[in-house]
Amino acid sequence: MTAEILNDVIIATEHIKAPPEVVFPYFTDPALIVEWIGNRADLDPQPGGVFSLDMGEVVARGAYIAVEPPYRVVFSWGISGSDALPPGGSTVEVALTPDGDDTMVVLTHRGLPSTHVGNHRAGWEHQLGRLLVAAG
Amino acid sequence: MAERKQLTPAAPDAVLRALADPHRREILRLVQHAELPAGQIAASFTLTQQAVSQHIGVLKQAGLLTERREGTRRLYALRHESLEPVRELLSEFWPDALSRLKKAVETAHPRPPKR
Repeated sequence: MTAEILNDVIIATEHIKAPPEVVFPYFTDPALIVEWIGNRADLDPQPGGVFSLDMGEVVARGAYIAVEPPYRVVFSWGISGSDALPPGGSTVEVALTPDGDDTMVVLTHRGLPSTHVGNHRAGWEHQLGRLLVAAG
Repeated sequence: MAERKQLTPAAPDAVLRALADPHRREILRLVQHAELPAGQIAASFTLTQQAVSQHIGVLKQAGLLTERREGTRRLYALRHESLEPVRELLSEFWPDALSRLKKAVETAHPRPPKR
């Protein structure tokens, strides 16, 4: 498990001992996604379909952009009520690559507001802070 | 020469708590590019001077502000590097989520032991 931040991009990876066919529904099935992120989900896994995730008092909202079982899913992401990171404001791409009988998960979060630009900095970091607190 | 106080590095949760208040975020916006005296910060708010002083105190405690004395005035500025812990926390959000995903998947779909 690793992560790095390159400018406004976060890349996180994980190796899972199950094939992509098993892992994929955890990004599209509301009952499965809440096993690892959030506590209530409203998902319509087709391009343009809603992606909504309650995480305590923080609500992540976006839409599915690409749904290609079992190898790739892309959705937009933002925080409800946040001007700095508005719903759908950034993009999360998940690639599930077979590794023998296992899966390599590579998650790339793009389009986050740069931490080096002024006005919104405190605002969006606060929102993400709440998100982290809620998810942790 | 004015003395610049050395502030202790802030823990991420102290920073998050300090950022949780809209008035305090507004104070940070005011001083992010320019050093301002307490009086001028207070003048931007409808709050009492005392309330503004308390907010400044919380921000200072969290390491988000630098304080410099110039005569009888105290000047404040955003300490940009203090937001780094939050940035680091953010970099842990998805890895933490993915390790929960790994646990969920592998618990629900255990591999039969090799023989």
